Amino acid sequence: MEYEFEKRRITGGIGADDEYWRGLERGEFRLPRCAGCGRWMWPAHFRCGACGSWEMEWHRTVPKGTIYSWTRSWYAFERVKERAGDVPYVTALVEIEGAGGARVMGVLVGDETDLRVGAAVTGEILPPTEKAKGYPSIVWRLADASDAVPSPV
Amino acid sequence: MSRLRGATAIVGIGQTPYYKRGTSPDPELKLALRAIVAAAEDAGIDPRDIDGFISYASERNDAQKLMPALGTKEVRFASLAWIHGGGIPGALSIAASAIVAGQAETVVVYRAMAEASHQRLRVAVAQNDTAAQYLVNGLESPAQILALRSQRLLQAHGVPRSTMKAMAQAAYHHARNNPRAYGRNTVLDDETYENARLISEPYNLFDCSRENDAAVAVIVTSAERAKDLAQKPAYILSAPMGTLAGGGAVEENIRPFSCAGQLGVARRLWAESGYGPKDVDVAQVYQNMTGMGVGSLIDHGFCTVDTAGEFITFDNLIAPSGRLPVNTSGGDLAEGFVHGMGLVTEAVRQLRGTSCNQVPGARLSLMTGGPGDTMTSTALFGTAETL
Repeated sequence: MEYEFEKRRITGGIGADDEYWRGLERGEFRLPRCAGCGRWMWPAHFRCGACGSWEMEWHRTVPKGTIYSWTRSWYAFERVKERAGDVPYVTALVEIEGAGGARVMGVLVGDETDLRVGAAVTGEILPPTEKAKGYPSIVWRLADASDAVPSPV
Repeated sequence: MSRLRGATAIVGIGQTPYYKRGTSPDPELKLALRAIVAAAEDAGIDPRDIDGFISYASERNDAQKLMPALGTKEVRFASLAWIHGGGIPGALSIAASAIVAGQAETVVVYRAMAEASHQRLRVAVAQNDTAAQYLVNGLESPAQILALRSQRLLQAHGVPRSTMKAMAQAAYHHARNNPRAYGRNTVLDDETYENARLISEPYNLFDCSRENDAAVAVIVTSAERAKDLAQKPAYILSAPMGTLAGGGAVEENIRPFSCAGQLGVARRLWAESGYGPKDVDVAQVYQNMTGMGVGSLIDHGFCTVDTAGEFITFDNLIAPSGRLPVNTSGGDLAEGFVHGMGLVTEAVRQLRGTSCNQVPGARLSLMTGGPGDTMTSTALFGTAETL
């Protein structure tokens, strides 16, 4: 499969997360674990600093978690001008359930009324868009209280 | 004790005026030269004798460009501290290390910015090295990225927003007495602060540092030589740089969470210097954003997340008699911003007794490097009696 994001590659940071973006572009949310010691490793890196393995395994993960932190951007900053028309927009940092506490960023869509640190969210995967600089992306939505599983009485 | 403790001193300081960003009458390289020559004159040394050149982050005016105009006799040492504003005290540490190791004798540490010669500061400092995770999700500026840190500090750790306002108001208050300060005419009362336009929540306009065209330089030399020069030396007691395990370029996955990421360097600072938070007379706190300055004070042990609201108040933060006067020149918010380098000269002025907002008898002067950076540093300077 040819991936759209690879034509518009962003080269900053560590850059070991190609499989994350490939997964998203296929519609899958995948996060890495070290193949040697099983430790979740996010952001992805080229070597496990704990056991020394050079191999990672990418696990399909349910895009659910809680907001670790968030910001609402009120200014169209230079290098993310593609989102100027969406100002103000919220970007959330979400701690993923069952992935070693991996915190994954994404724009928040939908109702923002109950936005706060600790709020539950679910993710939806978008195909590559201009707003996301030609990359696929995950967007977060506050979990509707009515969707919550009632606790056993 | 560290071998660097008190082995070197800042003996000269120099800086150009702060210009509105993009309006400097001089190009960046000329600003750098002006600041370096001014620092040499302040120290009473010949600029030709400077044999070491150190800066940090995205500085482009390196020794090879400066030496012809300075008449440099020989460049014996030149280096750049990696990272961003986190590297300022780290640059001083490199200078001290080079001097103690005999690699150089007279070292200048400097930073110059003129946006017309380069590009917008907040873009330049990123060095085209921002991870896709940020850019894909609408985050690129330090204001946005650090907003995530401060939001967590406020919402998960319960630090009151009043701390951010106090940091901003103390800076603007001090700037009123500083003729160099670019923000000296701004009166930051509660209403002005509360009604300011939002930039990236929880930050508003007054929570964010300025961007100016200017250059700032300091001369570092051995403690032995410092005694014979023109100015009262500001001894470098400690200037550690680093990052703890669980930090680094981890795209907001720092563990354990610390707003400023300065727990490690602060611990080393106190251990190497032999002093603690209670001993500090005055602090110049790097504030890319107010919430990060709050985080620096917490990480340095001046208060905890639980006591921050009581400690970080306007009255406590102002000279001459606050418990910990901070950013006595106006700092990054209200004096001007050359990537934080102006904090070093103010930290030195406090020990000389020449600040516009002097803390009487200041003996220990703290200068913290860029908080929230993936690597950071901090420095404690002292007078001769603190050695």
